[in-house]
Amino acid sequence: MSAHSEPIPLQAPRRRLLPALRDWSEREEVFSWLMILPPMAFLVALVGYPFIYGIVLSLENRPVAQPGTFIGLGNFLADFRDPTFWQVVQNTFVYTAAATLLKMVGGLGLALVMNQAFRLKNLVRAVLLLPFIVPTVLSTIAWMWILDPSFSVINWLLVHGGLAERGPSWLGNPALAMTSLIVVNTWRGLPFYAITLLAGLQTIPPELYEAATIDGAGALDRFRYVTLPLLKPVVFIVTMFSLIFTFSDFQLVYVLTRGGPANATHLFATYAFDIAMSGGQFGLGASVALAMLPPLALLIVALALYLRRA
Amino acid sequence: MTKKARALSAQSRRQFLKATAFGVAGAALGARPGLSAPKTMSIMHENSFIKTFDEYFQKTLIPAYEKLTGVKIKYELVSVGGLQTRVTTVAETGTGPDMTLNFFNWPFLYDEKYVDVGDIAEEAGKKNGGWHDAAKEAVVVNGKWKAIPFGNVGQLMNWRTDWFKEAGVEKFPETWDELLEAGIKLKANGHPFGFELGHGFGDNHGWLYPLLWSYGGREVEPDGKTVVIDSAETARAVDFARIFFQKTMLEDVLGWTDPNNNKAYLSGQISCTNNAESILWAAKRDFPEIAAATDQSLNPKGPTGQRFHILAPWSHSIFTHTGDQQAAKDFLRWLMEPPQVGGWYASADSYYAPFLHAFDDAPLWHVEPRNIPYRDSLATSHLPGWPAPVSRASSESVAKYVVVDMFAKACAGKSTKEVIADANAQLKQIYRPA
Repeated sequence: MSAHSEPIPLQAPRRRLLPALRDWSEREEVFSWLMILPPMAFLVALVGYPFIYGIVLSLENRPVAQPGTFIGLGNFLADFRDPTFWQVVQNTFVYTAAATLLKMVGGLGLALVMNQAFRLKNLVRAVLLLPFIVPTVLSTIAWMWILDPSFSVINWLLVHGGLAERGPSWLGNPALAMTSLIVVNTWRGLPFYAITLLAGLQTIPPELYEAATIDGAGALDRFRYVTLPLLKPVVFIVTMFSLIFTFSDFQLVYVLTRGGPANATHLFATYAFDIAMSGGQFGLGASVALAMLPPLALLIVALALYLRRA
Repeated sequence: MTKKARALSAQSRRQFLKATAFGVAGAALGARPGLSAPKTMSIMHENSFIKTFDEYFQKTLIPAYEKLTGVKIKYELVSVGGLQTRVTTVAETGTGPDMTLNFFNWPFLYDEKYVDVGDIAEEAGKKNGGWHDAAKEAVVVNGKWKAIPFGNVGQLMNWRTDWFKEAGVEKFPETWDELLEAGIKLKANGHPFGFELGHGFGDNHGWLYPLLWSYGGREVEPDGKTVVIDSAETARAVDFARIFFQKTMLEDVLGWTDPNNNKAYLSGQISCTNNAESILWAAKRDFPEIAAATDQSLNPKGPTGQRFHILAPWSHSIFTHTGDQQAAKDFLRWLMEPPQVGGWYASADSYYAPFLHAFDDAPLWHVEPRNIPYRDSLATSHLPGWPAPVSRASSESVAKYVVVDMFAKACAGKSTKEVIADANAQLKQIYRPA
């Protein structure tokens, strides 16, 4: 068995090296970095690089399929002088604020109900997640049918129920179109809120409620002094996520209205896409997309600070 | 595998053998075009509304070319609405198919990534009776043909002859004012009009630019720099649109995108709209009674006495990254020869109005005589931004829906002065000197 004896001298240094390597990698400061590295690389490649590239583009006059020229803040200045841009800003804020608020209130209510014991609880909880699971483009097509100018189911019911001669123009009237989009966004985002808050609710120890009840607290008081304070951190986290997703929403608007009527429902993402893709102006499009960063960052920093203080 | 499929695959094996034999023979003789060509090349298209059109390319043209030259052509179909994103990606990365179909003003957007195909275009023109002027407007960028024009998917007035007749209108109105008059009567009879005023691609521009032009309004001067939207002519067009909207239409149209007017028309909710031939096509297939009572007419004339139409051209380009540009050119040259291009046009009846004069009276026009106005509209068809040449600025204006929204806002209730001021501010920003 001479073949076995040969590798021994080779293994000797490896034996010394391996434990050393293991010791080194098991040191906390090294190990934590090793664990963080793969997701970091992933983030840099898929988020960091496009993000930096986006910043570079926004500082260039960069028509599609042509080399760019650096123009500093020229694109942003152009945005600021564009009345539609300001309408987009206003739309995005209204859309985000209204939808987030509705999702928060509705989600909390839903979570409280789901937290009760009732028959088929688990089934209901699973069904609740559906709007969140179905791909947005698909579910939005269903909404397209519900809100369709010619074939709206709601209008059909209104007309055939004798409630109206003809239903409202859900996507044709500027204010109604925005309202409709907010409703659809709320419908889609509600389960996310509800499930997350439900998880938060279940971490609250029942003894606290018992103690409060013994102290004479009614249902409202229990909610106000026990549930709400303990749920706050979860509410903030979920609001932060929701803000980001709602602020940068694209699919819903793109499928339902494409930003119409007369830009009444254009958001940052859809406007940026139109300018960059249909208009072939990558630089200008990137500047519109990036313009959503400062307000979003501010909102998130404010929330984070509040959370830390609380 | 079904019997038929087996037979087909056996047949395709035979074809393959034949084609290879031809290819080898061709290579040996050295006389066939594209002899040093790569064995496969690809061309991108968007799924056509007309199924027979794609089929003809795949089942007749491609095998014929392969038989002739040994070159295999891959027909890469992109789903509807997805072609521009795909072309952008290909142009940006310099990888992907060798050739592509273009819509609208794309030859201008991607011109630096497209090969000059002037030689093929001139030759195709000579062999096919010359090009319509509109074809040149669609593809000649700075004096160079950046694509070979194919056909136009025009937009016409689609109207219900029975309901118009009921309202005492036998012939389609000649002017916008007469159309308004007819529309008031039709709406009173429960048959409103429906013209898209939302953010679609085609059916909004299809009537709003022609309306503006026929009133004498323009976005910019022919120099492509001087913004002239703020004019008495524009104001009159906007005033007309507002009344036209209020008195003949439903509020819904403000939120419409391109499919909505088709659906509304085919469900009998509207009596008139501006659309491509897709309405009549679908009506003939699914709603024969509606089809029988539908006609298509040229857009009305404005106070200038002129009528206009939107140009929605299809054309084909070769990407500069293509390995063997000559081989791609050989293929397009072959495609544009009268027998091939004629069969290609005919496979869609007259859905794609040929840009070549040789087909002005071709039998394809007699399949559906109601389509003949599409041919006649070519002489008065222009791209958005006309009379200025297409530019990055005009593309940006279209992407921002400046003209569409000017009209839409007025219809939704804003004053003429306000909406023109908005459009003016936007256009001045868009057409700012670089």
